[in-house]
Amino acid sequence: MDEWKPNPAVKSHKKRSWYLAWKYKLMNQRALRKLCQTGAVLFLLVTVIVNIKLILDTRRAAYEEEEESAQDYDDEMLNVEVPRHPVNNKKVLDVEVYSSRSKVYVAVDGTTVLEDEAREQGRGIHVIVLNQATGHVMAKRVFDTYSPHEDEAMVLFLNMVARGRILIFTIKDEGSFHLKDTAKNVLKSLGSQAAPFLSWRDMWTFVGKKGGEVYGEKHAKSPALSTWGDPVLLKTEVHLTSVEDAECHWPDTELNRRRKRFCSKVEGYGSVCSCKDPTPIEFNPDPLKDNKVFDVPVAVIAGNRPNYLYRMLRSLLSAQGVNPQMITVFIDGYYEEPMDVVELFGLSGIQHTPISIKNARVSQHYKASLTATFNLFPDAKFAVVLEEDLDISVDFFSFLSQSIHLLEEDESLYCISAWNDQGYEHTAEDPSLLYRVETMPGLGWVLRKNLYKDELEPKWPTPEKLWDWDMWMRMPEQRKGRECIIPDISRSYHFGIVGLNMNGYFHEAYFKKHKFNTVPNVQLKNVESLRKDAYETEIHRLLGEAEVLDHSKNPCEDSFVPDTEGKVYVMFIRMEQEADFTTWTQLAKCLHIWDLDVRGNHKGLWRLFRKKNHFLVVGVPASPYSSKKPSSVTPIYMEPPAKEEGAVAVPAVAAAEQT
Amino acid sequence: MQKINRNVVLALLLVTSLAFLLFQVCYYKFYVSQKNGAAFSKVRGSLSGQDSTRWHVVRKFLGLISSHNIPVYLIDPLILELVDKDIEQIRSSPDGPSSECKYFCVPRDFTTFALLDKTWKHEVGLFRTAEKMGFQWLKIINKDPRLDGMDDLSGMEIPLHYIFKLASHAIHLVVFYERNGNYLWHGPLRLKQHMDRKFVPFRKLHFGRYPGAYEKMELLHVSIDDLKVQIPKNPSSFLEEISHSRFLECRYREARAFFQLYPDDASLDAVEFRKKAKSLLHLAALTLNNLGVKFWLSSGTCLGWYRQCNVIPHSKDVDLGIFIRDYTAEIIPAFQKAGLPLKHKFGKVEDSLELSFQGDSDVKLDIFFFYEEDDHIWNGGTQAKSGKKFKYLFPKFTLCWTEFVELKVHVPCETLQYVEANYGPGWKVPVKAWDWKSSPYNVQTNGVWPVDEWDNVIQIY
Repeated sequence: MDEWKPNPAVKSHKKRSWYLAWKYKLMNQRALRKLCQTGAVLFLLVTVIVNIKLILDTRRAAYEEEEESAQDYDDEMLNVEVPRHPVNNKKVLDVEVYSSRSKVYVAVDGTTVLEDEAREQGRGIHVIVLNQATGHVMAKRVFDTYSPHEDEAMVLFLNMVARGRILIFTIKDEGSFHLKDTAKNVLKSLGSQAAPFLSWRDMWTFVGKKGGEVYGEKHAKSPALSTWGDPVLLKTEVHLTSVEDAECHWPDTELNRRRKRFCSKVEGYGSVCSCKDPTPIEFNPDPLKDNKVFDVPVAVIAGNRPNYLYRMLRSLLSAQGVNPQMITVFIDGYYEEPMDVVELFGLSGIQHTPISIKNARVSQHYKASLTATFNLFPDAKFAVVLEEDLDISVDFFSFLSQSIHLLEEDESLYCISAWNDQGYEHTAEDPSLLYRVETMPGLGWVLRKNLYKDELEPKWPTPEKLWDWDMWMRMPEQRKGRECIIPDISRSYHFGIVGLNMNGYFHEAYFKKHKFNTVPNVQLKNVESLRKDAYETEIHRLLGEAEVLDHSKNPCEDSFVPDTEGKVYVMFIRMEQEADFTTWTQLAKCLHIWDLDVRGNHKGLWRLFRKKNHFLVVGVPASPYSSKKPSSVTPIYMEPPAKEEGAVAVPAVAAAEQT
Repeated sequence: MQKINRNVVLALLLVTSLAFLLFQVCYYKFYVSQKNGAAFSKVRGSLSGQDSTRWHVVRKFLGLISSHNIPVYLIDPLILELVDKDIEQIRSSPDGPSSECKYFCVPRDFTTFALLDKTWKHEVGLFRTAEKMGFQWLKIINKDPRLDGMDDLSGMEIPLHYIFKLASHAIHLVVFYERNGNYLWHGPLRLKQHMDRKFVPFRKLHFGRYPGAYEKMELLHVSIDDLKVQIPKNPSSFLEEISHSRFLECRYREARAFFQLYPDDASLDAVEFRKKAKSLLHLAALTLNNLGVKFWLSSGTCLGWYRQCNVIPHSKDVDLGIFIRDYTAEIIPAFQKAGLPLKHKFGKVEDSLELSFQGDSDVKLDIFFFYEEDDHIWNGGTQAKSGKKFKYLFPKFTLCWTEFVELKVHVPCETLQYVEANYGPGWKVPVKAWDWKSSPYNVQTNGVWPVDEWDNVIQIY
């Protein structure tokens, strides 16, 4: 085309003559020429058509593409993908470990993974477990081996850690006082040379691979009883292995994929990550016949106690009639490990940005969790509320299935709870027996949706009110005289000993000896008699057949109740008005049951068991059942010891047993 | 000379066009191969008048989901339209053999099914089987709106749409969620950055441009074109719903910001009022829905929804809007029957109608009737003592669903314009002293009722 110019004069003669020759040749074949011309024209037409089609098509496609990428179909929050950390191909980790009286820290590749310089805290041996392939922190623990039994916990923990993991130890303040030989031997078997000689206020750091090489150790002896050893700083290098070496080779199933994810991230969950014979993470308990609570959502309220959560979820998922799809775990805070546990079991978890502090934080977390539960399950009439530090009885759902209709039908009910505040080993006996009580025990309970939506949610304590949610729920303004149904033998067990309102002593005194049902499929007795009016008839019947105990004896003495079985006894205590619990509190104290506040009462009546006999306590004259008292009997009065007044006040704060 | 030129021109044109054509053919081929072959299937389908690809893909898909016990149901509007025409016949012979492939052989790029979230466990197994069967699949997940209104809860993202593609046909599976207010919700289809924008022609999908709200529906097992599927029991009412199913989520984030600025009134009075307003609104919604009268949140109630996702505690009444064309004389008796006596009636059907019902203890239900003009919509007001008329002008709007106090209700889709028209640009600032005759931004005087009409247009009980 370039060559062709409209002015033929420019063309050379040679070329022109070629054209002419060609022309004359063609002239001689007119027909052929005509044909060529027509052909050319046709060809042109075709080209034009194809051209137009192409243009249209491309335009349409362009339009479509434009449309598709139009904002309508784009996520408006331009999901800026957080750039993942470049795959760390480095084979060597720099590890720094510091041990001193007031501060410990561990840095891996320049990142501080542990730093503790708080005063009066974090005493003992800090242990960090790293993944030998990725260098990620899999567990962080501190064992206060200055105190008794902590070394046993440490041994237990170290035994659970998989072979090949990297272990980092450092002592803060003091870690040897109650470090027994067993523990020292375990440390020695890990390759520590200083462990057997650790003594009072020594400083010590150690990095090693479980069942393998030692990467470094430093030890500074304390020169005298009154002083600490010099701070030690250990800098060492750890060689990483390949990912395959750090993993177990379980069969490739969905469950094992979850397990693998979990086990590559965290440590300290025992045999769940064992290569040879891992403990199951799916339980498939027997379904319940005619399960009335199959569609009831279960909210598990959790904080950052992943090991508790693990134990709790195991027991929950093993309970007969459980429906894992209805379970949601609400985690107060953006903690990773509890979420890992939730995902291990294939449950759904929701994290909650903490609002406010202490008790109010717990309260706000409860509110958010309950609201979310009813949002997620809009059809639900109830929600089961559990906490992360509870064991769940095997017949938990069976118990609820048999009793939940009461909560729906009886307006005078506030909740159904799996927990009997007074159900201790020595005071609870009958797994098929239920009570009505005026207090709300919590610890595994069922909440009615309309109670929450219409009454509780709108006036739930605001964050600035530092209230306990359960204390608030127990207030008369909320409870409005309604009662809860509880079993004689609790269907939950409170195992948590660390928590906001909890410590070892408190747990030992009030929770450890709580009775917990382990019998499956208990058929509850006479559930209908738990309705408001029927219950009164039932109580009157009981009181009618009850034998009045000898009121001249000391009720705290064992001999107060005869050595019989299966009988019903009644005693009368002095109770001037509805809120007079003086004698009851003293009685509760000497019976070693819950005495921090009043629990388990129904119209001035308490029901428990003593020596396998049903034991009724009636407060006279405040209780309407006082009329059952024979005129000859003088109600027992017990005076509070004057000195202990102050002591009661302290644990009263702790009375809220959640978290 | 001319002849030579013509021949030369022709020859040259021939050569160039040949070159062009070659180029175009190459380009076109390349371009077509990029597409999913959807264009081809259409051609094939339209040529034969039937497209068995679709039928085969649907059958495979139904096999896939039934092997995993996932109860999906057909919501494809185009098929349901056809089905609806023959609904009696299909209902009466649920297993009856059909001679021809009538529904699933109409050539389309995709077929739409729905799945109720709570009826399946999110098994990974399904997708593996799908892959084995040759399906490509795409999952669209997003935030869970049921947690959106909550202070800082972050759950896992939930699946909103799935697309299964096999050969030239795609199955669009819409996930429905039950939400507070007894309705079904499906999410919008939004592609994240890394997603394949050409996986299917997303534009053409029937669901997903906006989130949608639907009534819960009963399902029917039928056999059409030799395929056993579930369909909505009443396809026509479902089809009717599709056209105006658009759902607006409350602006929870803005509401939180509002409460940061103006802390919520948590007094007992406020709690009490909200409770009453909520139950009044529930009662009103029940009554109007039973009559089939379409209504929306108006005035203060609408502002409360838009600004703070809650009832404004100092508003003291509940306001609803109804188009005058939806007015029926049954409204007043229906409310009276529901226990809400008429408090006053202003205006008449032809002009400025307004009803007011007395709810429980002081909470009033105001119903304003809206009149549509060419370029605006208005409702009227009447001052009882003077007979003065007022007019409130709004820009034209359509209705969307939303969730408010556990109720699925309508609001104007163009809420901002509506609220701004009513309250002016300062609507974000709470105003406690409110005069309906002068405070609204869009109020106009509209003359006075003639005195002889007063008995009719000003009725106070």
